[in-house]
Amino acid sequence: MKRASVLLQVVTLAAVACLGRPALPADIPDANKKAAEKMASEVCAACHGPGGRSISPTFPKLAAAPAPYLEMQLKSFRDQTRADPDAIAYMWGMAAQLDDAMIGALADYYSRQRPAASKPGDVALVSAGKRLYEQGVPARQIPACASCHGATAEGNGVIPRLAGQHAPYLRKQILVIQNALRTAPVMHGVVKDLTLDQTQAVALYLESL
Amino acid sequence: MNVQSSRRPALQRVLIGAVGTVLLLVGLPQARAVPSFARQTGMACNTCHTVFPELTPFGREFKLNGYVLDNIKQIKGITVERQETLALSSIPPLSAMLQVSYSKTKDAVPDTDPALAATGAFAKDGDLLFPQQASLFYAGKIADGLGAFVQLTFSGAANTFAIDNTDVRYAHHFSSASWGEKDLLLGLTLNNNPTVQDAWNTTAAWGFPYQSSNVVPTPITSPKLDSGAGGIGQNAGGLGAYLWWNNSIYAEFTAYTASKIGGTHPLDSTQATVINGLAPYWRLAWENRWDRNSLSIGTYGMVLNIFPGAGMPLSGPTNKYTDTAFDAQYQFIGEEHMFTALATYIHEKQQLNASFQNGLSQNQDNTLNTLRLAGEYYYRRQIGGSIGFFNTTGSSDNLLYPSGSVDPTTGVATGAVTGSANNSPNSSGYIFEANYLPWLNVKLQLQYVYYTKFNGGSTNYDGTGRNATGNNVLYLLGWFNF
Repeated sequence: MKRASVLLQVVTLAAVACLGRPALPADIPDANKKAAEKMASEVCAACHGPGGRSISPTFPKLAAAPAPYLEMQLKSFRDQTRADPDAIAYMWGMAAQLDDAMIGALADYYSRQRPAASKPGDVALVSAGKRLYEQGVPARQIPACASCHGATAEGNGVIPRLAGQHAPYLRKQILVIQNALRTAPVMHGVVKDLTLDQTQAVALYLESL
Repeated sequence: MNVQSSRRPALQRVLIGAVGTVLLLVGLPQARAVPSFARQTGMACNTCHTVFPELTPFGREFKLNGYVLDNIKQIKGITVERQETLALSSIPPLSAMLQVSYSKTKDAVPDTDPALAATGAFAKDGDLLFPQQASLFYAGKIADGLGAFVQLTFSGAANTFAIDNTDVRYAHHFSSASWGEKDLLLGLTLNNNPTVQDAWNTTAAWGFPYQSSNVVPTPITSPKLDSGAGGIGQNAGGLGAYLWWNNSIYAEFTAYTASKIGGTHPLDSTQATVINGLAPYWRLAWENRWDRNSLSIGTYGMVLNIFPGAGMPLSGPTNKYTDTAFDAQYQFIGEEHMFTALATYIHEKQQLNASFQNGLSQNQDNTLNTLRLAGEYYYRRQIGGSIGFFNTTGSSDNLLYPSGSVDPTTGVATGAVTGSANNSPNSSGYIFEANYLPWLNVKLQLQYVYYTKFNGGSTNYDGTGRNATGNNVLYLLGWFNF
């Protein structure tokens, strides 16, 4: 019953995302692409790194993230519906004056960047994390992460790429989704019963991809 | 070696003491952090600061980019060729700061020295300073690529309202396909205090301790690039150029000249610390960032030709000060724990051609070195402690650092507190700090400065019976930014 409910939420979310169709790369005028690249390299790179490959785990890697996901996040920063502490401190300000065209162009720019290098982690934990990622925890109706995020965690549409992401950032997102500081109804249902150990394991696994 | 007599007219000694204490009163500019930037960027203090005023790597980027990152509605102008003619924030990036403090030295400043008492230099020791300082800031974007940090300060100690640290800068990015993703930032800085433009927290304007008492005795001198009594501070104004390559390598060259606030203009012999001609300043730094860490090492320096002051005309020979300094900074910025280590060492070569000729210094050539170290820890940016160490050593000179004395018959002292029985500037000690920040923009501080050596000695250092530990300071500060 619960798994069906989660799937239904995912399908609904995907449908809603499709209605507000994100700009396809062919739609974006060259001038906007250039402006986005300029902003990304002169402003965003200060935290997210050149090409979206950030150094500090406080700032997520954006390189190769799906454009619709990035677009959704930038809009949620702009309208302040995403309200975890770092979103409020950093991104509410950064997104306040971005118009839809720039958001689309930035999302497109980062989606085209080569992904960041992965980081190997503790073998036992990574292995436990891989199991969790691929199989979920059926006994507690926690679905496999791979069913939405993809077999290699590359993400899809409004579902983010997790492969290679900073483990501390992933851990923090699971935490802020669990305590509803970050509004993510589908994800809240999925992760609310994850333990700290499980969170750590899956985060290390994903960082190693 | 031509040794000058140590017997000098009392008036001259008083003048030198008075100049020294006036410098202490005016104090050297201390560091600031400003909600102006928060209003302009829409970003909370913790994005640019570990704990104000210390900068995070992102804060350094913000500063080096000219203070222009701006996320509020703009008032714009363009030409028909789409060239931008105006980009003004719809609300001005203004903010204010209030510092209320209480300072108490371990031993009260004696009242046996009438000349010292007349300067009023330490009159507020033991008083509540409300305010110690109150400042207004315009800090932020002026136009695309052009920004400024302008501070106006009312000093409760000196009862003056004057321009304080000011840095106007312009920066522009350059890229090239052959550089890949590497970025070059070139900038210009126009500022009124050597090192105010620096992005690290190791140099004088922004170094530890970020605030301290300005109504208590401090060691008689320090190199020109130090924040102590000998520092050049806001007596200079300069224009410089810098580059920031790949968010890693920094190089700057700035030329300063005399810039005195108030006093008679044109500058005349009543003025002290007047630079002759241009004083070049340079800075090189390399920063490496990994995970939550950053490490920078660097060098900086300055050459100044300064008229000797003390009533001498502003012409003829000058004293030449050549400062060469090294610095290093390490930061770990974790989710809950934050740690910073700071170090700087300044070596100064003094060629006192003017002072020596005019009987103001015993030696023609002296050296003066200062080492400063600090370690800071914060938990969740709310509660933290710091320990600092400072050590100044230099040539002995019985005319630059005269001894105080007490007249055995009248009991009247001269050169009390500011004198040096050993004619030496050597001073060292520790700074202990405990800080509590109930909010990101409010800091409540307890600071204790402990002197192991003061003006060349530890017991009876001044020749009138005062001990170095007598100058230990308990300092309580409430620092509010809004």
